[in-house]
Amino acid sequence: MTLKVTRRQFFKLGAVGMATSSMAMMGFAPEPALASIRQFKLTGAKITRSNCTYCSVGCGVLLYSRGDGAINSIDSIYHVEGDPDHPVSRGSLCPKGAGLLDYIQSESRLKYPQVREPGTDEWKRISWDDALTRIARHMKDDRDANFVDQDAEGNTVNHWTTTGMLAASASTNETAYLTQKIVRSLGMVVLDNQARV
Amino acid sequence: MNHAYGNAPMGVIDPPSVVLPEQEHFAQRAQRLHDLSERIEPLRDFLAFMAQLSQAQQQALERNTPAWLPEPDAFVLALEHGMPPLGTQALCRDIDFHSELTALLDGLDLHVGEAQRPLLDTLRKLPKEEIDRLAQEVLKARPGPEASRGLMPLIAAALQVAWLRLARTLPQPPKRPTAEARSICPCCGSLPVASVIQIDSRRSGVRYLQCGLCATQWYLERSKCSVCDQSGKLDYLSLEDETGEHLLPTQAETCGDCHSYLKIMPREFDAYAEPLADDLASLALDLLLAEEKQYRRSGFNPLLIVGE
Repeated sequence: MTLKVTRRQFFKLGAVGMATSSMAMMGFAPEPALASIRQFKLTGAKITRSNCTYCSVGCGVLLYSRGDGAINSIDSIYHVEGDPDHPVSRGSLCPKGAGLLDYIQSESRLKYPQVREPGTDEWKRISWDDALTRIARHMKDDRDANFVDQDAEGNTVNHWTTTGMLAASASTNETAYLTQKIVRSLGMVVLDNQARV
Repeated sequence: MNHAYGNAPMGVIDPPSVVLPEQEHFAQRAQRLHDLSERIEPLRDFLAFMAQLSQAQQQALERNTPAWLPEPDAFVLALEHGMPPLGTQALCRDIDFHSELTALLDGLDLHVGEAQRPLLDTLRKLPKEEIDRLAQEVLKARPGPEASRGLMPLIAAALQVAWLRLARTLPQPPKRPTAEARSICPCCGSLPVASVIQIDSRRSGVRYLQCGLCATQWYLERSKCSVCDQSGKLDYLSLEDETGEHLLPTQAETCGDCHSYLKIMPREFDAYAEPLADDLASLALDLLLAEEKQYRRSGFNPLLIVGE
């Protein structure tokens, strides 16, 4: 909040104010308008700025969410549109971006880690801790088994080619830098950022 | 680029940051007020009168020739240096809104109801100094003395004609106001009445604030409080009846940071929504919000003046 608030004026358009308003003074009874508010209730919506995560363009989107009628409660997203103020996309969205709402609401949307064990056809929900531990275990085992410190000619290479990493699309430069540093420090040479899905 | 399915834009479409009012602005507002008067029963007579008033404003704009008009190059310096060229306090002594008022009253004469006729008669007899005093109250967005408050919207209407006329003479729109003056009209320095989300192809989905005096529209980012610049605690509240239908496209953009609200009219829901007209018609929204006692109104509508 800044000083602007004190410079801005506020107007009291309430029931008391209406009795001495210009409307009443001009001979228009404010009572019907005052009585009419009983047939209405206030419903709230929220608009949140975000970015489409489909591809590396990262178009700006506005997410509309509605609560259950109580002010300030967020329930579900009901509308997505391009953010006209976004300097890159200027309100436009590609067909995938325009369909974001169905992606958000999709029943088959992945919301937590799952694993399909070898030999089964079933996806099993696991915790994030389990998932990260298992991935780390696989990486470590694979790296221990396949790390190459010298090539056939005896040159030191210190690389690991049997595991690769595909990083996310809508990343910032900083995220991309950190991804590169972490992955390369393991000796991994197969690394890509997806540009689009 | 042209192809079988239509035309694609050739480059980046940059929405204009400031849009001066159109010549037909009052006529369009009159039409909107007329339509609203038939839809909003509790405000029927009030909105119908305001429709007549707007129609009279259009006539005054077209037919009246004010005694004073600025030199053609009068505002070049102001435009160059990002000052509001039509600042109300700089111009209020020169601008000839008295002749606009006379034209307005003449235009209204045939249409006004019995209850409102005394207003016209009183205004015709009012000394110039008294009208000037009330005009100052309007220009400073103050409530004025209770006894004369009923006259103020008519004086405000004349001021709107005078300022819109000058805005039409500007060689180009002013620049977008700088950060600390984002919610002040870049043309005349007055407060916005409400904001509108446009739907035409050049500025689809773009939000503009509209001046309560000269009807200039200027750009403000969506989903941002026009009073305190914050965007974290905004809600868009609207009126819903028992069947779940919305009364009007109008929403109140309420800010939990500074506890104020400004109305916003997404024209996607109603292409003819006009900020000032729809603000009057959605009075019930103000009344309900006033009852909630959480948010204070920041929009200034000179055609509906309330006391303190």
